[in-house]
Amino acid sequence: MNVKSLLLVGSALLAATAATAGGFQVSLAGIKNNGMGGVGAGLALDQASMFYNPGALAMVRERGVQMGANATFARQAFRAEFGGDERNLRNSVVNPFSLFAGFGPAEGKWKAGIAVYTPFGSNLRYADGWEGRFSLTDIDLKSVFVQPTVSFAVTDQLSVGLGVAVLAYGSVNLQRDIPVTNSQGQYGHVELDGQAEHKVGLNAGVFFKPSEKLSVGVSYRSKIDATVEGGDVTFSNLPASAKASFQGTEFGVTIPLPATTTIGIGVMPTEKLTVALDVNHVQWSKYRSLDFTFNGPVGGATSSTSKRFYQDALTLRLGGQYKLTDAFTVRAGGSYDMSPVKDGYVSPETPDADRIGVTAGASYKAGEHFSVDISTQFISLQKRTQTQQDLLNNKTTDRVAGTYKTQIVIPGIGLNYTF
Amino acid sequence: MITLFKKTMPGLALLGLVLGGCQPELDAPKADKGSADFSKYVSVGNSLTAGYSNGGVSNASQAQSYPAILAQQFKKVGGGEFVQPVFAAGQENGSGFLRFTGFNANGSPKLETVTDKTAYTGATLPSGQAQLAAYTGPQPNNLAVPGISVISSVSALTGGLAPYGVINPYFNRLLPAAEAPTKDYLTYIGQASPTFFTMWLGNNDVLTYATNGGVASASNPFSGLSDTTRFGIGYRALLATISKNGTVKGAVANIPGVSALPYFTTVRVNAINASIKANPNIPNASTASLFITTGKGEVRAALPTDLLVLTSSAVIGTPSTNPANPFPVGVGYTATQSNPLPSQYVLDADELSAITSRTAQLNSIIAKSARQYKQPVVDMNSFFSTIVNNGFAINAVNNTTAYISGNLFSLDGVHPTSRGYAVVANEFIRVINQTYGASVPMVNPNDYSGVTFP
Repeated sequence: MNVKSLLLVGSALLAATAATAGGFQVSLAGIKNNGMGGVGAGLALDQASMFYNPGALAMVRERGVQMGANATFARQAFRAEFGGDERNLRNSVVNPFSLFAGFGPAEGKWKAGIAVYTPFGSNLRYADGWEGRFSLTDIDLKSVFVQPTVSFAVTDQLSVGLGVAVLAYGSVNLQRDIPVTNSQGQYGHVELDGQAEHKVGLNAGVFFKPSEKLSVGVSYRSKIDATVEGGDVTFSNLPASAKASFQGTEFGVTIPLPATTTIGIGVMPTEKLTVALDVNHVQWSKYRSLDFTFNGPVGGATSSTSKRFYQDALTLRLGGQYKLTDAFTVRAGGSYDMSPVKDGYVSPETPDADRIGVTAGASYKAGEHFSVDISTQFISLQKRTQTQQDLLNNKTTDRVAGTYKTQIVIPGIGLNYTF
Repeated sequence: MITLFKKTMPGLALLGLVLGGCQPELDAPKADKGSADFSKYVSVGNSLTAGYSNGGVSNASQAQSYPAILAQQFKKVGGGEFVQPVFAAGQENGSGFLRFTGFNANGSPKLETVTDKTAYTGATLPSGQAQLAAYTGPQPNNLAVPGISVISSVSALTGGLAPYGVINPYFNRLLPAAEAPTKDYLTYIGQASPTFFTMWLGNNDVLTYATNGGVASASNPFSGLSDTTRFGIGYRALLATISKNGTVKGAVANIPGVSALPYFTTVRVNAINASIKANPNIPNASTASLFITTGKGEVRAALPTDLLVLTSSAVIGTPSTNPANPFPVGVGYTATQSNPLPSQYVLDADELSAITSRTAQLNSIIAKSARQYKQPVVDMNSFFSTIVNNGFAINAVNNTTAYISGNLFSLDGVHPTSRGYAVVANEFIRVINQTYGASVPMVNPNDYSGVTFP
């Protein structure tokens, strides 16, 4: 297997993710990092530093190409306050992926690279006829970022890095039922489907390694507004007599992909053991409302607004790795991810709650150039209930009252080729 | 390397499937009957309790009456079978009902009456109403009679002069022919022996008068506003009978305000005036406006506070039958005041205020009687006023009291849709749960249909 075929495998995978960090953020860029609770800003592990802390890239010894792919298995139980049966998601598996290629002189002060990753996304397909159908039946948010990156070692201990994060591909697909019944007793249905405009943001970081036993890092990824203009609006099952109220054919929407600041510390008490701690701060408070505009009436109005009022959220991550032999490394970690969604604001497109994650991983080095990483994450969202009264109090009755419980399992595999 | 890849992938896939199979579970909500016994539930009431919708009762509409929905939920906590007085096979459409077939050019809905598979016998009752085929099944649990009021339920209140079993086709069909002229509703409900009951009566003691524009019909002795004295005597007798003097648990509902019904809010004076002023066929249209006859016989320009009934839209502007005011000066369109809209199409401000204050008086009698017989009151009056002001948003659907588009009221503008009845059932359940420490699960109203669009 050569570099070219690795790239081909990467492009064959779908760039889709289930929400696997707070809100619709996804932190699955590096398979080694995945095995360690998602830490990375305070370490210079491998080429995935381009995502976690571009400043650390110059301190990564090897150059190389690495590819990672995950499969998310999300399982959810929902019970509506008004309604009775437990609802489960229609099964869907999605595959967040990443690709990193780093190069530069072996002993030089700088490194450069290109990263492809999927930092935000969501894919949920609710049960047919579930109680929240008039809010949402299906959502598929995808984003692929391409990030050219340079990193420079100012001294032997201090390096900085900068990446230009380009939203290369983004798409939104939202579907819901319309509470208008036709003569066959069917409800109307609407699908909004569109692609995001290309946008540019920054991913910058500083990495400091004062000794062989300690490293610290800070990184910042800027906010990008994913904007869709002229997306397609498609109606089905609408009764003829109601069509006058549903004339829209195009929609526009802006979804903020919020800024993330991370502080990380790595401790290497022995040559074989690494322990790291990361704290992420995500500025979800920028997500105030989800506003759609239409070029004609949709339900009698040419715009719609739905309150979000997210709050900034912290994620704590702790992980470590232990080198059992020269070829074999094992990893473990955990994370606690505080939900940005306030009580009474939980909506079906992000049925969010505080999350506890437990992770494990391993690497096997097969020869001088190749290595394989595997990881698995188990993420449990706390059971979360919002009542009809919560919705009435917050004037957020455009969503459904009930209890959600979600668990996600994400096995991942990464292939590395170093030179 | 490739070997390792091949060896690892199936393992990983298996791991994913095994772990991915850990579907979280949520415990079913607690369902408990509390101190109530739902094994034999009986409902007493009028058209609202019978499942009357879209201007009629059919087997389909009965199946989604609020007592039927309640019984379905009671079954989850030990409730028994619930029998309704259904129409025979081939007569499923019962009284017939309205169907929505589209919009007219002016945006008003086109309605047609379903006349096939009805249960009419062809005979006419002494009251002039068409007779419905007799119900021959087992003793029903749903004892509701569309049209019935408190006064018409108790024969003694009219000195036995107005036998309701030969006036009302819905009561007539429930009674054996021999009993129809003698048995009153009070006696009829006394035959039932419920373990739990609901009673929602009193609406027609104000509503019949209101929907008739505040005009009591000469041919119907129960079409006026009921007086408080007889209402009180009748209501206490009915509640004492069905609750076996307060020993049977149940719930009673009071009378919602009538003015918020789509029947009175859909045709608005301001909109009619605007259409008159824009009508090129009317001479001096810009100075013309709608003229009405009030309950006191006064003819005057309509005010925004006057409520026009739903059926007035078919009358206003129709060619006049008065030769002195031929077309195009139609009914109501005149500043000469010689061709006003008749009183039965308008609830003027005085009539409305009389109805509102009588409703409040009757509701206080209901509250007092309920206390006397130890029954909780489901306060439909304040429940519906809240919906009028705020709508009823549930599971991401905002239902309102608007005609057709609101989905809570059916095409007749007075009676709820199935969804409206589901909302009513949930409100009964809320009060029942609260009163008897029960946990009867509520329904998802959106599972019940609103208005079906063509």
